[in-house]
Order: sequence, then C-alpha cells, then structure tokens
Amino acid sequence: MHDAEEPLGRLALTAALLALWPAATPAWAQVNVVVTTPDLKSIAEAVSGGAARVHSLIAPGADPEAFEPRPAHLVALREADLVVRVGAGYEHWLDRLIQQAGKPHLLPGGEGYLDASAGIALLEMRGRSVTITPGHAHGSANPHYWLDPVNGLAIAQRVAGALARLAPAQRPGIEAAHARFAAELRQRTVEWQKALEPYKGAPLVTYHNTWPYFARRFRLNIVEVIEQKEGVPPGVGRLAAVAKTMREKKVRAVVHEPFQPIDASRALGERTGARVVVLAPSVGSVAEASDYLKLFEFNVRGLASALAQ
Amino acid sequence: MNEIAGFLVFPAIAAAIFVVMHTWLGLHVLRRNVVFADLALAQLAALGAAMAVAAGHPPAGTAGFSYAVFFAGCGAVVLTILRSLPERVSQEAVIGVLYVVATALTVLVVDASPQGAEHVKKMLVGSILVVGRDEVAELLVLYGAIGIVHFAFRRQLLAASDPAAPGRGVMRGVFLWDLVFYASFAVVVTSSVRLAGVLLVFSFLIIPAVIGSLYCANAGRALAIGCAAGIAASLAGFAAAVAYDVPTGAVLVASFGATLIVAALLKTRAKIAGLGAACLLSSAVLAQGAWIIAAPAADQPLLALLERTTPLRTDVFLDEAEREQRALAAVNEERHSDAVERLRELERASRWQGEPLTEEQVQVLGAHQKAYSEMARGERFVQDHLRVQARIRGRWLIGLPTLAVGLVALFAFAATLRRALRR
Repeated sequence: MHDAEEPLGRLALTAALLALWPAATPAWAQVNVVVTTPDLKSIAEAVSGGAARVHSLIAPGADPEAFEPRPAHLVALREADLVVRVGAGYEHWLDRLIQQAGKPHLLPGGEGYLDASAGIALLEMRGRSVTITPGHAHGSANPHYWLDPVNGLAIAQRVAGALARLAPAQRPGIEAAHARFAAELRQRTVEWQKALEPYKGAPLVTYHNTWPYFARRFRLNIVEVIEQKEGVPPGVGRLAAVAKTMREKKVRAVVHEPFQPIDASRALGERTGARVVVLAPSVGSVAEASDYLKLFEFNVRGLASALAQ
Repeated sequence: MNEIAGFLVFPAIAAAIFVVMHTWLGLHVLRRNVVFADLALAQLAALGAAMAVAAGHPPAGTAGFSYAVFFAGCGAVVLTILRSLPERVSQEAVIGVLYVVATALTVLVVDASPQGAEHVKKMLVGSILVVGRDEVAELLVLYGAIGIVHFAFRRQLLAASDPAAPGRGVMRGVFLWDLVFYASFAVVVTSSVRLAGVLLVFSFLIIPAVIGSLYCANAGRALAIGCAAGIAASLAGFAAAVAYDVPTGAVLVASFGATLIVAALLKTRAKIAGLGAACLLSSAVLAQGAWIIAAPAADQPLLALLERTTPLRTDVFLDEAEREQRALAAVNEERHSDAVERLRELERASRWQGEPLTEEQVQVLGAHQKAYSEMARGERFVQDHLRVQARIRGRWLIGLPTLAVGLVALFAFAATLRRALRR
C-alpha cells in the first residue's frame, strides 16, 4: 500500500505547485521589447528601470544599410510584447518581418507597436513618392532624428508611456527611471551646447547626410554633403566641385562615419587642408559610444577638438 | 579644370602602371587559357582581407595585405597543381568552384565582423580615383621587382605558358615555372585589387592582352600594342568620368570594353563592319516599330532617344487643349519643386543663423514640403499620362512605317553582308 501511494503523493504536490506558479511570477515579469536600432535600445533600457528586457535587431556596430533578416530575428519578434521602430522609412524591412512573425498586436495600430517618429519634427521632408533625389533613397524624410538630444527626450517619453501601459504594475519604477534619464539628458544637452557654442555656424562638409538634426541642435552649418546617391562613390567632377566649395567657404572639417569608404574624404582633406573627423552616427558604431549619452559625448568632444585646430 | 587635373594625376599614373604589368600577365593567361583564374585569385585576396578585418586588423594595413597575399598564394598553388590533373577534369570548372566558394566564405567571414562588408564592397568597385603618391611609389617598387623577374626569365615563362611550344614536354621544371608565374600573378592581383577593384583589374588583365593578340602573335609586339590600347582606354575612361560625372571605376571598365570593340572593328574589313552595324541598326528600328504597335504604353527607348535628339515629337497626336495641359503641368512641376527647395534652404539657414525654428515651425515647414512634393509628383503624373496617350494614338501611324522600313533594310543589308562574307 505504502509503495503505491508515494508516487501519487508526489504527483499531487507537483500539480499543486504548478497550479500556484502563475501567481508567483508577476512581480518580476519583464516586458519583452524588440527595437530596431541600438540607439532605441539604449533609451528604452534607460527609461525602463529594469521593467523591460530590450533586444535590438540591428546589432551595435553593424552597418544599418546592410541588415539581413535571420531566423533569430523572427524568434525575437515572436516573443515580443512591444516593437519600437525608428520610422521615416529607415527600416523598410521591418514590416515584412512583423508579418512573418504572425503577431497581430505588433502590427501598426496594434497595442504592441510604437513608431518613435510620430510627433517628431522631421527635417528634409519629401512626399511618399520614390524619386531619385539626392540624399536618402528610402523614406519620406531624413530618418536620423535621434541625433538631436531633444528628440531623444521625445523618444524617451513615448517609450516610457508604452512600457507603463503594458506593465501597469511597474509604472512607478518606469516613471522614476524616465524622470532621471530626462533630467540628466537635459542637463548634459546644455553642457554640450556650451561646448560647441564657440563653433556656431562653423562650415562643415559631411560624407553622408546623417547630421541635419545634430547640426540644428548645435547650430552647425553643413555646407555640402559629398555622397549624392547612397552607396555610390562620388565621381571626379563631384569631388572637384566639393573641394572648390570647401575652399570658398573655408571648411575646416569633413565629418565621416565608420561605415563609409574613407578614401574620398581623406583625399578631399589632403587637398584642402581640412581635418577628417570620424563621428558616430549610432550607439555602438564606435567603441566609446556605448550608450545614448556617451554617443553625444563622443561626437561633441570629437567635433569640438577637430574644430579647435 | 586644374582642380580636376590635380585629382587625376596619380590615378592616371597608377592606371598606366597597372596596364603595363597586367597586359604582360594577361598574355600569359590567354595562352594558358585560364581567364577566370584572375577572378578566383581576386576573390581569395578579398577573403584574406576579410579575415584580417575579422581578426581585428585595420583593412588597409600590412596585416591585411599579408593575409590577402597568403590566401591568394594558396589559390596560386591550387592553380599550379591544376595542370597536372587528368584531362577529363576541366580547369575552368575547378577555377569556377574556387571563385564561388571563396565568395561564399567571404560572406560568412564578413558576417562576423561589422565593418567587413564595406571593405568587401569596396574591393569590387575599387577606388582608383583616390590613389595617392604613396600608393604609386609602393606600386613602382613591387611591380618593378616582379617585372625584373619576368624579364629575366621571360623565355622560360613563355615556354611554360604555351601549351604548343616545342620542347615543352621535356622542359625541366615546368612545375617550378608554373609556380613562379602563378605566385607572381597572385601578388600582382592582390595588390591591384585593393586599389582598382575586381572588375577593373579583370579589364586591365584581359582586354589589352586580347587586343594585342588580335593584331600580333609575337609576345613582345602584342605587349606593346596592348599597352598602347590600354593606356588610350584609361585616358578615355578618365575623360568620360570627368565629362559625365560618373563613378570612375565603372566607366573605366566600360571604356575598356568600347576600346575592344573599336579594335575588333578596325581589324575587320570596313565594308563588313559597316554592313554589320547597318544590320544591327535595322533590327533596332524593326523592333521599335513592332514594340510600339504591341505595347504603346510601355517604355519606347528608341522613340524616346529620337524625341530627345531631333525635333520629332509625338505631341502631334494630342489636341490643342492637351498640349496646353502638358505645358502647364511642366511649369507647375518646376514651381512646386522650387518651393520645396526654398523651404529646404530656409530650414538649413535657420540652423546656424538668426533665431532657430521651433519644433512646431519645423513641423509646419515639413508638412508644406510634403504637400509641394506630392503636387509636383501629381504634375509629373499628368505629363506622363499625356505622353502615353499620344503614343497610344500614334501607335499605328508610327509603328507600321517603322516596322516596314526596318524589315526592308534588314533584309537588304543581311543579304549584302552574306554575299560579302562568302567572298
């Protein structure tokens, strides 16, 4: 009798534990957030106060133009509660991925979808049409809006709001973390503006058209963008024209990014005496820019020291 | 103009050095009939460079070059051994497999290192435009050394390359000379691909050598003719790059292709070449006639070319009102595009001059830009629609005579050509 009852007893105990298990988890359940870029990841982590587990589809340091979807990305999306995208046509591949993941709440309009560009004052707007105009080949506006810290505040607010909506039990923690992040960002923005104030209006040339938002916030004058069509290296005529403009406007710095072929910028720099300064367009693209605040720290200090000479 | 000339001095010198070295190697390659070995070695060099980047070295340094030379060297050894394989194993097949596997491995390696992709892309297109004094000096030293070796042992190397050379079977150390050739070939390709890119290096290698062989069987004279043709093609390519402001590497390749066509045409009898060209033109006219009847709403390339270059217009098929509508749409499109540009300039100037625009002002400005862009697109749509209408109405009137003329001309020229060839 005794031997026959023991396994039954164990079974009853296990069943009881399993029944009570769901009641035991809510206190530390994290919201699964999938974002597209490391910048969004940095902001989301800063405002979540531990309430969210954030995964970025584009790996830090990877070339965003060379993104290729993989099975691991689909798995990440399937488990996501919230998807945050940059928008403005930056990730044209995301819609397809979300559809393939088959989660209706992640589709546009669903409760798990957040387009961080809604409400942001976008620059260099064009219509919805796809025409061959210089600048970004994809999208309806310049998508690099996270390079303005004030836009970073807006992104932080929207992400915090979405997180609080999805995890109401952790709202106090999220709001506290958000307040901390916003306060620090505001204070540092003032410092950065002060650091670049002596160079207000300094003429710059950039290789890729990544920096309008940065230029607007820190009052810089981007005279010319070398790359006219994405991915196509500039021809001789273009280089000569840019060199001429650089001499006329006395441009002292050429802004370059880690993924662009540096030869054209270097050649221009040599011919005109301007310095080539490498700035980070995104968190993780250089080792020092490991989060959103450090990204600006790196860029502002780098540009200031390049223009100081 | 001085600005542009300044940019082109060193690239032109580099191109000339490349042409001389690669034409000589190309003559060997043609004799050995391993034309695509160049692509395989270039891809192996790219794989080596990608591995160097994955290992943490900067792509354009000594470490990168050493890795690339090592991998290309392995390829050279494989190619040397290739000759001793049994007859039924096709050399081209093995070379093709080598190329494809090297490319796939490069993709896998690049996947592991974030910046590798850009470097590999650069190796395809190359950046001959930004070659500077240092690179040219390095090239002279390296190619000078290899050139001396090839000059000193030119007879042995030529004999090793030529499958029909007398006494080749009993030549001592054919394997050694093969190895010397492929090793020097690997080093040259590795060093040139990082500057000029895979496509352009292939053109440097094959096209002047083909032109030279076309005119002369003797290696020395073929080299001279090939070099002359190659340098002429390079200069034409640079001139076109300046004139049309297009990427230099690609237009150089196109220029080499055009030079090959011209050289081939010069070799054939003028009459045959002329008749051949006339046949091609008639076929194009015939095709255009048939096409506009079959699908008037589709793109009509020959017709568009005629409209651009001659006073001929399909507007005659539109009535007065439609023509006015089209003209008005063109004017409006220009106005709307200008408005977008003006707003863009306004925003740009406000970044660093005067008072910065507020977020609301930027949003209003953006909304205006978007609206104007959409309106411009609408005007473009009206113009396109009217153009298609004109073509649809004129399809028979344009198409039938064109078709008839093309058909008659083609028959006439083809018959004459066949008669001329038989003689």
